[in-house]
Amino acid sequence: MRSLKRRKFADRASFWLITLGGAATVFVVLALFLFIFLEVYPLLTGAKISKENTYALQGKAVSVGEDDRQDVAFALYNNGIIEFISLSNGEVLKRCEIAGLNGSSVAQQNVTNLLPHAPSQRGDKGEVETFSQKTSLQRNFITSVSKDNNRIALGTNDGRILTVSVNFSESFDNGKRTIFPEISEAETVQANNEGKGIACITSRGDGSATVTAVHTVDGRLILISSEVERTLFGEGEKKEIKKDITGLIVQHSLDQSSLKSYEDKITPFAKKGNGGGQEKHERTGTRVASTSILHSSVQKDEIEITSMALDLFMENLYVGTSSGEIFHINVQDRENPFLAEMVRVSDKAVTALGFLLGDISLVVGDQYGSVNIWMQVRDAVSPSGWALKKIHTLKSHNAPVIAIAPSMRDKGFVTAATDGTIHLSHATSEQTRLNLETKSLPAALAFSPKANGILAADSHGHLFQWNISNPHPEITLKTLFGPVWYEGYEKPEFVWQSTGGTDDFEPKLSLVPLIFGTIKGTVYALIIAVPVSILAALYTSQFLHNSLKIIKPVIEIMAALPSVILGFLAGLWLAPLLERIFPAIIIMPFFILLSIVIALSIWKILPAFGKGRYRHGIEALFLIPFIIGAVFVSIQLGGVYESLLLNGDYRAWFANVLGLEYDQRNAVLVGIAMGFAVIPLIYTISEDAMSNVPNSLRSASLALGATPWQTAVRIILPTASPGIFSAIMIGFGRVVGETMIVLMATGNTPIIDWNLFNGFRALSANIAVEIPEAPIGGTLYRVLFLAALLLFITTFIVNTFAEMVRHRMKLRYSKL
Amino acid sequence: MKKFIRTGNPYIWLTAGTLTICLLMICGLVVLIMVNGFGIFWPRKVVRVTLYDGTVALGEIAKRESIPHQKGSFRTKLKIGNRDVNGLDFTWIDDADIVSWEYPADTLVFERREWGNMYGFLKGLRQDGAVKPQRLEVMMPLLEKSQTLFKQIRHVEKKEIGNINYQMEKCRLESKHLERLQPSEKIQNKLATVKTRMNNLERKYREKEDTLTALYTTAREKEVVVLLADGREKIMPVFQIIRVYAPNKMGFFAKMSFYIAKFWEFIWGEPREANTEGGVFPAIFGTVMLVLIMSIAVVPLGVLTAVYLKEYARDSFIARLVRISVSNLAGVPSIVFGVFGLGFFIYFIGGGIDNLFFPDALPTPTFGTGGILWASLTLALMTVPVVVVATEEGLSAVPISLREGSYALGATKIETLWRVVLPQATPGILTGTILAMARAAGEVAPLMITGVVKLAPSLPMDGHFPFIHLERKFMHLGFHIYDVGFQSPNVEAAIPMVYATTLALLFTVLVLNLTAIVVRNKLKKWYSTGSM
Repeated sequence: MRSLKRRKFADRASFWLITLGGAATVFVVLALFLFIFLEVYPLLTGAKISKENTYALQGKAVSVGEDDRQDVAFALYNNGIIEFISLSNGEVLKRCEIAGLNGSSVAQQNVTNLLPHAPSQRGDKGEVETFSQKTSLQRNFITSVSKDNNRIALGTNDGRILTVSVNFSESFDNGKRTIFPEISEAETVQANNEGKGIACITSRGDGSATVTAVHTVDGRLILISSEVERTLFGEGEKKEIKKDITGLIVQHSLDQSSLKSYEDKITPFAKKGNGGGQEKHERTGTRVASTSILHSSVQKDEIEITSMALDLFMENLYVGTSSGEIFHINVQDRENPFLAEMVRVSDKAVTALGFLLGDISLVVGDQYGSVNIWMQVRDAVSPSGWALKKIHTLKSHNAPVIAIAPSMRDKGFVTAATDGTIHLSHATSEQTRLNLETKSLPAALAFSPKANGILAADSHGHLFQWNISNPHPEITLKTLFGPVWYEGYEKPEFVWQSTGGTDDFEPKLSLVPLIFGTIKGTVYALIIAVPVSILAALYTSQFLHNSLKIIKPVIEIMAALPSVILGFLAGLWLAPLLERIFPAIIIMPFFILLSIVIALSIWKILPAFGKGRYRHGIEALFLIPFIIGAVFVSIQLGGVYESLLLNGDYRAWFANVLGLEYDQRNAVLVGIAMGFAVIPLIYTISEDAMSNVPNSLRSASLALGATPWQTAVRIILPTASPGIFSAIMIGFGRVVGETMIVLMATGNTPIIDWNLFNGFRALSANIAVEIPEAPIGGTLYRVLFLAALLLFITTFIVNTFAEMVRHRMKLRYSKL
Repeated sequence: MKKFIRTGNPYIWLTAGTLTICLLMICGLVVLIMVNGFGIFWPRKVVRVTLYDGTVALGEIAKRESIPHQKGSFRTKLKIGNRDVNGLDFTWIDDADIVSWEYPADTLVFERREWGNMYGFLKGLRQDGAVKPQRLEVMMPLLEKSQTLFKQIRHVEKKEIGNINYQMEKCRLESKHLERLQPSEKIQNKLATVKTRMNNLERKYREKEDTLTALYTTAREKEVVVLLADGREKIMPVFQIIRVYAPNKMGFFAKMSFYIAKFWEFIWGEPREANTEGGVFPAIFGTVMLVLIMSIAVVPLGVLTAVYLKEYARDSFIARLVRISVSNLAGVPSIVFGVFGLGFFIYFIGGGIDNLFFPDALPTPTFGTGGILWASLTLALMTVPVVVVATEEGLSAVPISLREGSYALGATKIETLWRVVLPQATPGILTGTILAMARAAGEVAPLMITGVVKLAPSLPMDGHFPFIHLERKFMHLGFHIYDVGFQSPNVEAAIPMVYATTLALLFTVLVLNLTAIVVRNKLKKWYSTGSM
């Protein structure tokens, strides 16, 4: 015999245990919500600086960069010295010099030897001489830089182009990582014969070809390309082309100005040179109405080139001018470049141009400090079929933008302005994620290879370094739920396309097509399920003979039918069948109605004894052969209907007359399959609600002379309406989250189209398809969690509401 | 007539019509699955069709239909098999092209381990390069021999080599573990022993491999020469053949026994040919084990909640919260549970377990990836409401007088509950458990992201300690349907298999549900007649 104390203790303990167990359900729901929310939350957070450092440099750097682990940075000075600096302590690890800058006489020789190969427009000997004199007298310096990953093209004050690669090789020894920075130089190229300094340069190159465009201080634009052509025997032959293309711009500008009045002539913007010691030229002369493209010195102040960018494909050269225009020069044919387009992008100078990853989007920074993204968009009006259009606008700087550094990972980029502000932005989401301040004129800017750090050098010899964490920059509410102008699209659109074949793919993560898909599936399913199940429930509860009430559990069991079975049957059995007999499906409802009328008439004529003891309540059984008959007849007549009214081919008819494409796995199919899945659910709950209406109400109505039908419609339905409502709500919740049927019975194409005859992709199916492949913690993973959260919240609201309505109804019934 | 309409009788007929449609749809569905599911094992006659252009096709009739937009013309879909020769399993033949239909009595169907069925005639046996004409009867003992050989090979491959692999993996983990410890003499010694063990195992492995090669060589010795419909000959090893039969000669009883054999293979066999042939035993096993683990998890939680709601909670705020939670758990889409299971169970808890207990195996996850335990727990959360509702029903059915009697005798609340109320409510709990199992057995979406796979290398239960491997991936009937029907490279040939699997799943779910209903009815009777 246990003591009373112990028994009492057991009683108390069990009370707490059971209460805890009961509360566990609440915890589960909370945990469900919280955990999913916690996975979504990082989408909403901004970028953070995790480390910030400033190091002293020798002087003003013209280019900077770092390795992909952010351990070592390099700074290139305008005297051709490259320093490698440890980012942990600022120590200089290595110092090298670009040999080609103050080139040896051999290098000089090479340069002059190259010249005859190049088709020079005005090669006279005198110029070559002055050039060599000049170089022998003074030390050269770098005047302009074009950086493309680790390949840096440098323009010098004596008109040469140097190409340098900076590489970081690493070795692991006992788990310790050592970095060996090294530089390699390519051949030097003489850009112009006069030895005029290069004010602006852009260059791209791959293994076999390089294209460089330079703008010289005397106002000329020169395109230099070299290509190694492999012959059949594997021997390389280098082909160099040098072309002065100033004319393309000048001529166009003159054509334009003859149309335009002088009012909108823009004061030339005094370019802030990014090369040190560049002298300003006196602006001379007025406009000369000459179309000669050779007299470039005359026009140079009319159009001053302030920035240039050449794309990865080495086909499109964009030239920004001091008057706010961008000239798009097609250089695909190196021999015959032509001006494809001229667009005015600003009313002040275009001070910086740069491409984003993938080289489709062009970042344009102007003298006001505004930053915009432009892109070639298909355009019917333009003669080439394409036009440069502004697709994104980002937060402005307050001073002219002078540097742009793209991310190598995504569509993010960094911009710097003359007032020392640096913005970290993302093109797709139009967000500026981070604002950094240096308070001094930036001289060079770099985005680390893994897009997790920014380097900037100012003109006073400081190197600023930031380590940043910038998770999910492509996600904002607008990119999730609003139209976004993606690369390669003609207008802003809602698109879901999470992965692409290439590294420079722009993820398109709009949830709108998926939400639309879910709604479309839900609407079609409920259109089919609600009338059928509620009418059937009404009949079962009010008119069905008592001995046939077994029908209800039969339908109830069907609620347990695994949806994967329905999905399989819909996708592999019903889809081809539906496609074959679709016209029959259209006429089937009429024939079923007709068969009911026929059955009713026959029932009327049938002598009373034929009906046995069942006078009422067996209509449903009596109808079985009639409805089967109707189905058969409509399938037989489907072909006739098709040939008479649909011109013999319903798909062609739909396409021509209604403009609808018919897909085999379409919304009608999903509607039928999902309708089938929820019919038992809605049926059971609403039948319960109707048969629980107190009998007194029914009896009173019948006693007052109402017919059974009137009683059912006027008394039962209104009284049970909260129950019916909650049945529909619960059915709605089930359909919204249904996964397997939509996965198997739709084509899973995320399109927005109400067309009955094409597919869609629902939130739920999308999660099932994509989450196994989504890397943990990545943007896609979190967006899919957000999709799950949306489903959870929707069903939570609907279910809670339905539960409350049902609870109310119970209370009301108990009072009646 | 007008008056008749005003009474509303026609409308009643309309509502009756909707019920009829529901019933017909349900019955149609069940019949469709039954016919297709049961029908696939029945041996069908093989027809030889000669066409006007001289081609001859041999195969089973898969389907006949009228050609769209051409009145009165029909076409036949013929399963011609011989995938290695023809490339495709099926072909369409228009009736208009056909010269003759025949059912040659000596047509044989060879069921093969690879490439699906082969239809043809037996030409002879080839041994040591010479072809000897043979009759089918001679082949049968050879077939049996090759069957034993196959079993031997399977045994070596699965059991013996599998065992060695398992031990090698353990050795590898152990040495990895030892290497991470502070080096000392003792550990050096241990490492050495592990290394010797490893070497021994490797030697054994090579021995087994040699055995296997020898077995395979024997298997390829005897070859069958088959004459195809178009006159070509095809030579294949006897070992390739699982079963040979002549459907055109079979009587009813022969067909019946064939049917039973095929059915048996379906239930107990392993899948072949990317799951499109063979059996579904691993999927059945996975489903059953999944459901059992799930019910172990769900019953305590469900019963506690129900007891709390029914016996302890007055209409308090918490009780209302619990009720709303239960109804929401029932309503939250299953895919959301799957997402939660993936994030919480697999990555969070499983990842944590891996870091704590299985650091040697990392970066290969042990529990940090989908597995049967996580899938079961995910389903358990989903099915809690089913158990709660049924248990509550069971508890309400226990007469209040019983409780009062118990209290009057001086029992405390928990004693009353434990000794009197819960035993009485057992059928309710049982009903709930069975219904939860039925729900879980049919659910696929959450499993797809928590550990189900199309082909599991080993069952989650085997002879290696600790016998039940909760971290393993598993196969599932429902997922099998999706995978075979929608992801397999040869969907058309796989459809019969999908129907059979569907039937198996439907059968499982319906039987579980019917059992639950029977138990519930028993419970009602028990109270109305019993202990009062």
